[in-house]
Amino acid sequence: MRLIRLPIFLIVLSFSIAAQSQMHSHHHHMASKGGFVMNENFENLPNGCEKISNEEKITVRANKSYAKNIPGTIYGMSDYEWNFEPCSRVEVTFINEDEVRHMWMIHGLPKYLYPAGMFHIEALAGESQSGTFIVPSENQNYLVHCDMSQHMEMGMRGQIIVGKGSGDLWSVTGITDHLYRSSYLPQYIIFLCFFASVLGYFLLTKLVRKP
Amino acid sequence: MIKRKTILIISIIGMIVSFPPQWYPLALKVQMTSWFGASDYNPLPQSKSPVIKVSEPNCPEDVSGWRNSHTIDGVEILDTATCVADNPYLIAASVLGTNNISNTTLSRSGLSADAIEKGRDLDGDGDPDEIHIKLEIAELNGSSPISNKPVTTYNIAPGISPGLWVFAPKLAGMSVENFETQVARSSLKIPSPALRVEEGDEVKITLQNTHYMPHTLHLHGADHGFVDDNGEGNDGVPLTSEKPILPGESRTYNLTPRQSGTMFYHCHVQPHVHVQMGLQGLFIIEENKPNNLLQTMNIGAGHVRVPSKSSRDNYDDEYDLHYMDIDKDLSVNVQKTNDPRLITKSMHRDYDITDANVDYFTLNGRSFPYTFRESLIAAEMGKKVKLRVVNGGSKGLALHTHGHKFKAIERGGVPLKNSENSPQDVIWIPTSQRYDIELSFINDGKHSYGPGVWLYHDHQNQGVTNDGIGPGGNISAIVYKDYLGENGWPLTNGMNYDQYFSADYYNKNIPIWESIAPSIFSEPSKDNLLALRLIFMAFFFGIFLFGLIRVVFWKQKS
Repeated sequence: MRLIRLPIFLIVLSFSIAAQSQMHSHHHHMASKGGFVMNENFENLPNGCEKISNEEKITVRANKSYAKNIPGTIYGMSDYEWNFEPCSRVEVTFINEDEVRHMWMIHGLPKYLYPAGMFHIEALAGESQSGTFIVPSENQNYLVHCDMSQHMEMGMRGQIIVGKGSGDLWSVTGITDHLYRSSYLPQYIIFLCFFASVLGYFLLTKLVRKP
Repeated sequence: MIKRKTILIISIIGMIVSFPPQWYPLALKVQMTSWFGASDYNPLPQSKSPVIKVSEPNCPEDVSGWRNSHTIDGVEILDTATCVADNPYLIAASVLGTNNISNTTLSRSGLSADAIEKGRDLDGDGDPDEIHIKLEIAELNGSSPISNKPVTTYNIAPGISPGLWVFAPKLAGMSVENFETQVARSSLKIPSPALRVEEGDEVKITLQNTHYMPHTLHLHGADHGFVDDNGEGNDGVPLTSEKPILPGESRTYNLTPRQSGTMFYHCHVQPHVHVQMGLQGLFIIEENKPNNLLQTMNIGAGHVRVPSKSSRDNYDDEYDLHYMDIDKDLSVNVQKTNDPRLITKSMHRDYDITDANVDYFTLNGRSFPYTFRESLIAAEMGKKVKLRVVNGGSKGLALHTHGHKFKAIERGGVPLKNSENSPQDVIWIPTSQRYDIELSFINDGKHSYGPGVWLYHDHQNQGVTNDGIGPGGNISAIVYKDYLGENGWPLTNGMNYDQYFSADYYNKNIPIWESIAPSIFSEPSKDNLLALRLIFMAFFFGIFLFGLIRVVFWKQKS
């Protein structure tokens, strides 16, 4: 099976390399064995940027073991927050160390540069993918997450802060609180509250009687 | 100051005067009738005028042309009659394998490049016999720490979105349609895809557990080894052979089935919960035939648009019919909190299936009226079709056809003897059982009673409701060509379905026959006069109580 698949992969690979060189600096969706990168942007400057201000390189690992230290999560990343100067060019290497598919994607980027306002890296199990994009010129926080069903909700949720940012997002794993937080109350809390109110009542009657 | 006793008398008179005459005791009523005759006509409350509810389009337009016949990378895909159809590119990828199709087809299929890999032709009969399927697990209608609405949504009927789990094909990209919506992609739906392999194929199924709980894959009824070639567990049963696959981990099961037939696959971790949540699908082993290119995955079951050789030889069409039931008290647990520890507790310790009942009944992942969009059986005089039916629900299924008598030809993947397969119109299908059914459109009063829109459904009464509201549940129809609109919607003799396509109807807010006989069967308005009398009575009762307490207690003090 492997043997027959090899030539097909070689063909696909050569095709994608050819396509990559042709479509360089344009939006593209590269399917390869290890995953793909969508809407890469090497050169096109966002409005308000005169030049690339900074060259940044980050490596993000996806590994469920990062979830162990953060209660109530199942999936995790090596980092959940990244700070960049406006107009920085960022090369992201996304290393997926789990045995399932993961994504590292940003929402809300300018739509004139990034279709649907997103930059998307997808790495299959045990694979690594790299992609480059340029951050806009405004101070802004951007959502970064994995869009597998429930992966964001179960831990793979981070934020990119450009410049001074525009305020933290909710539920950034290990960094900000949940907007909808579950209650973890002891079983007999209702009785404890009742006793507290009775205690308060009698305490007050005692206090008022004595002048 | 008014005297205490005066207060009591006034309050008693007030209570008597405001007491509604309609509630007088019968003896009093009879006595009064003998003195004054019957009371004057007092009209009952008026009927409310019908409120116009927003309803979804019955039959959404097929913008992408997915219903049509297609030839994609040389694969001929049959057209399908229903309004909503599967993505033909995914079907083509499923027939050839994601490793043997063009980049365009792969990209349009939405599948990952290694979702279905097909290898060598081992028996030299013109079709691949090495099949490697990859499955992921997705949650539909789950919860989120940043939203109080369900995420990755999937409605089984208008306004009904219970929490569900599903074995999903390995996709590329996001789990939702696009960034502006939380609607799940069309290929993320229940039931888990019907899988088709050939007798003698060397099949590998890799389960990549993308979910947040442990799971396995159990091949119910399909010929597979207890352990694989490496001595690892291959039965998917944590009790006897293997540890559950933890979130983020993966395991490959393998089998070379020696017998054909309609089988089943499901998760075997806490199965009383996990199977019910949707981790179940049809597993079909087709007879080994030359040049038998199979549609390895049939998303959400339904019409088989690339039928097998033996199906083509014997039938004009083939349908996979997957029945399920859903307990809303179970499925709601994934929507109440986002903490996997709390969800695990509420589903596996607090939820008690021995006290449970089911609320929703689905056919191929939808309840009526959505079944009419996706699960109609298109009939043509003189033709015959094969139905592969599985009951994946926790209750039995009394499958009944209007206008037809059918023949059960296989049960649990084993052919039935001639003495066992006489024609019938109700068949009892217990939990996890499969029946292959032959449905003939011969107008002889035995097979078919002639053209029309003939329902087929579970004849147990609860099965035709959505949480007790009918029509609902697994109702669908056998529709003859003359009764099928161009867009795939059945011509129902003028019957209007608008109210059924409104979430309000299944939220129990619309009077059942309002649309056909407004005012007669509309909601009556409220009797405000009666309410006012009761409020006055309660007011005087309050005064009465006050007076009584003063009379009784103050006497003692003085």
